[in-house]
Amino acid sequence: MAVLEKNIMISLAENAVKAALNKGAQEAEAYVYEGQASNIGIELGQISKTNRIIDRGLGIRVAANKAIGFAYTNIVDDPVSVESAVTSALSAARASKPDPDWNGLPQKKPYSLTQKTFDKKIVALSSEELVNIASTMLDAAGQVDKRVFPIEGGVGSAYLSNAIANSNGITGFDKGTVIECSVATLAKEGNTVTPVCFEFNAARNYVLDPAWVGKQAARMAVSALKTKSVETKSGKVILTQFALQDLLAYTLINAIRADSVQRDQSPFKGKIGEQVASENLTICDDGLFVGGLRTGMFDGEGVPHQKTTVIEKGILRNFLYDNYSAKKDGKESTGNASRAGYLSTPSIDTTNFHILPGNKTSDEMLKEVDDGLIVYYLQGAHSSNPVSGEFSVVATPAWKIKNGEITHCSRGVMLAGNIFELIKNISVVGGNERQMGQLVSPWLQVENVRVIGQ
Amino acid sequence: MKDLLTKINNTATQKFGAQYAEARAQKLYKTSLTLKEERVEAAKQGIENGVAIRVLINGAWGFASVGSLDSAILDEAVSDACRMAKLASERLKTPIKIANVKVVDDHVLSKPKKNPTDIIMEDKIKTALAINKASLSFDKKIKSCSVDYFDLTGSSFFVNSEGTSVEQDKLYVWARMTASASTEGVFTFSREEIGSTAGYELFDEQSPEAIGEKVAKRAIEQLNAKSPRGGKFPVVLGPNVVGVFVHEAFGHLAEADLALSGGVLATNLGKKIGSNLVTFYDDGTIDGAFGAFKYDDEGVPSQKTLLIKDGVVTGLMHNRETAQKFNAQPTGNARAEDFRVEPIIRMRCTYMAPRDQTIEELIEDVKSGYYFKSFRGGQANLDGTFQVGIQEGYEIEKGEIGAPVRNASISGNTLETLHEVDAVGKDFLLDPGRCGKGQTAFISDGGPHIRISKVVVGGSA
Repeated sequence: MAVLEKNIMISLAENAVKAALNKGAQEAEAYVYEGQASNIGIELGQISKTNRIIDRGLGIRVAANKAIGFAYTNIVDDPVSVESAVTSALSAARASKPDPDWNGLPQKKPYSLTQKTFDKKIVALSSEELVNIASTMLDAAGQVDKRVFPIEGGVGSAYLSNAIANSNGITGFDKGTVIECSVATLAKEGNTVTPVCFEFNAARNYVLDPAWVGKQAARMAVSALKTKSVETKSGKVILTQFALQDLLAYTLINAIRADSVQRDQSPFKGKIGEQVASENLTICDDGLFVGGLRTGMFDGEGVPHQKTTVIEKGILRNFLYDNYSAKKDGKESTGNASRAGYLSTPSIDTTNFHILPGNKTSDEMLKEVDDGLIVYYLQGAHSSNPVSGEFSVVATPAWKIKNGEITHCSRGVMLAGNIFELIKNISVVGGNERQMGQLVSPWLQVENVRVIGQ
Repeated sequence: MKDLLTKINNTATQKFGAQYAEARAQKLYKTSLTLKEERVEAAKQGIENGVAIRVLINGAWGFASVGSLDSAILDEAVSDACRMAKLASERLKTPIKIANVKVVDDHVLSKPKKNPTDIIMEDKIKTALAINKASLSFDKKIKSCSVDYFDLTGSSFFVNSEGTSVEQDKLYVWARMTASASTEGVFTFSREEIGSTAGYELFDEQSPEAIGEKVAKRAIEQLNAKSPRGGKFPVVLGPNVVGVFVHEAFGHLAEADLALSGGVLATNLGKKIGSNLVTFYDDGTIDGAFGAFKYDDEGVPSQKTLLIKDGVVTGLMHNRETAQKFNAQPTGNARAEDFRVEPIIRMRCTYMAPRDQTIEELIEDVKSGYYFKSFRGGQANLDGTFQVGIQEGYEIEKGEIGAPVRNASISGNTLETLHEVDAVGKDFLLDPGRCGKGQTAFISDGGPHIRISKVVVGGSA
């Protein structure tokens, strides 16, 4: 199915806004989304499934007497269903209660251009090519070691576009592409089964290394076969991007959202300008990061994406705002209103959460650890306390570092602590930056982490 | 609708040579609300229509979904699915086959006492507001509280090339409440969920006020809680924790696709992996339970599936593909979140069967350990490593429940831990939940109180 062109997407949004105003809304905002994705799936070591998913829809948010209503439809080619979504949003608003803090939709501001977010090579990619990528990845994994089983994975390409319009004159259209390949492996020897080891590539431009992905996932699984226990103590831990992505998403990121701060759910409340983390730590939320997986011209409310310094050399600088929370604090939105497609109203989230790199290579970091652990995959991060930042998670698995060398793997190792203490104890920031979902980060070495062995 | 879906299947089998084809159409109506501190963030309503097409060609699956009922668009989708499946089939080593099932022709109606579509938005807001008020007014130290309400109604049509045709009503009512409290730099957080496939009468069974107070009370109590000591301890788990333990630590391993993927259960069928007290079911037939339904998304009737009996693994949860591989019967566990995605093996209502002890008996024999009453998240790995976070827990000292502990978690390996179950209560409770496996599924889990003689307890102290 041909993709919806820019002018069609924008006029869908604009017409919905007009219709809402005509029906009596004081303010209106329409968001139109389209996604077309093709995936080649790997199951039990072979390419055995494919899918093609086309999803488009329109979400409309209206304000009537400071009460907010929202409705959506996934039938955008039929004016009647768009019209009925508009009516539905208004009736929801009229049934709702006024929000005294509602202070209007955002105003129009100029957008910056983004770099490396759209690649026509991805759009033109044939299913044959996707199958070839999957094959390359699978073969590479299989060649590493006979004990390795690639259990699942796949290759996917997607075209995504969105348009927004509001009654303050905002109109925007943006489109992008994503390509990814991933494989999960485990290794078996006798009765021993390793935890699942995972590797992937994901990019906005057509740059993939499926052979590396396959090999790396397989090597990790093999290295997890031989295990020894580790002792219970507090010590050095290197957290790789996999572990950081999980841990930060359920703890630190909550604390820097302006709505959490305003609702007394953040220990960072009132601490702007204070030292909250190690001097080694600088974090920016960067919605314009070149080639970033979350990069786009504007956020879910049509506010321009920007780069916001969150923590600078350990000092807390800014929180992340959408329009509503910004108005409440008398500030400007930082462009952090995020949408789950057309299905929901915007809520605050990071764009690309960028932990600025240092200059040590992976090898240098490992070499300098006399006694510690390196952790890739975590289990249970979502059970962290989202307010206090306390966590108690399992490394699946952890690898022991002794005198600068990785010596063995250990299963069932628990890490427990508090994210707000952990960020004060970051002693080394690596130079090995990598993008993983919303996170762009190097490895971090943390001192004095509570490790509970088996 | 049946004709439209039959036509799609015919195109797949006759024009493209598919050995099997199925088409699933849905019309879904959703209402949702978010309240924060008695403020309605937005009242939301949505409509979704779409069709999913799945074909098996030369032993490979092709799937396509579109948000449209337009026949030209559906023709393109079926052609896409067939073309891509053929491509994938060229590299197959082991072609996929599916187990035979009975042809079904049925129309399943939901019979709610109170249909959520008959309840006006104002009343739903009123209910959510009552919960929110009860939480916020419980104690001054409650700083924030939220209520997310959600209901889904509509219908799902399933037709396959073998002649099965099922039309089912869909009905879900769900709400999640959270409360956070703080004092002197201590922050706590508490969460509750309720859910039903029966109807809006859910809120008659549990009053909004009682739900609101429950979630607030826990957040307040946690303010004075201390961190548990890390290490191995005997623990008594309440039904809410047992449920997530059964679901995470065992249930996922008993999903046949994950068992085939190298999960530890594949090699343990028929073997004893737990104490004699361990009996687990996955049951899709419990009326009104959040995880219950009549037919799965392959048109297979739901059932009560025995997974472990007295410590011995008796079965797995199957779809038609894995049932064929294991030479077993499909169990009705193939579920798709909606028309956008393909059905995969999911749990329904997973629980541990009760035995005959009282809760007091379970606790009185513990010299020094913990009582974990309510969970916050859990996760498992194919090697049997599990982790369950605890949002409400207490010390047990000399057989008595003592001071509250917070942010604890338990972890271990399923195959070792199930042997350590040394006492099982006679009480029983099922809780609603949502499970993520790429897609979200509405499930239930639960059981009685149980005791585990030793398990690793993670804590920051």
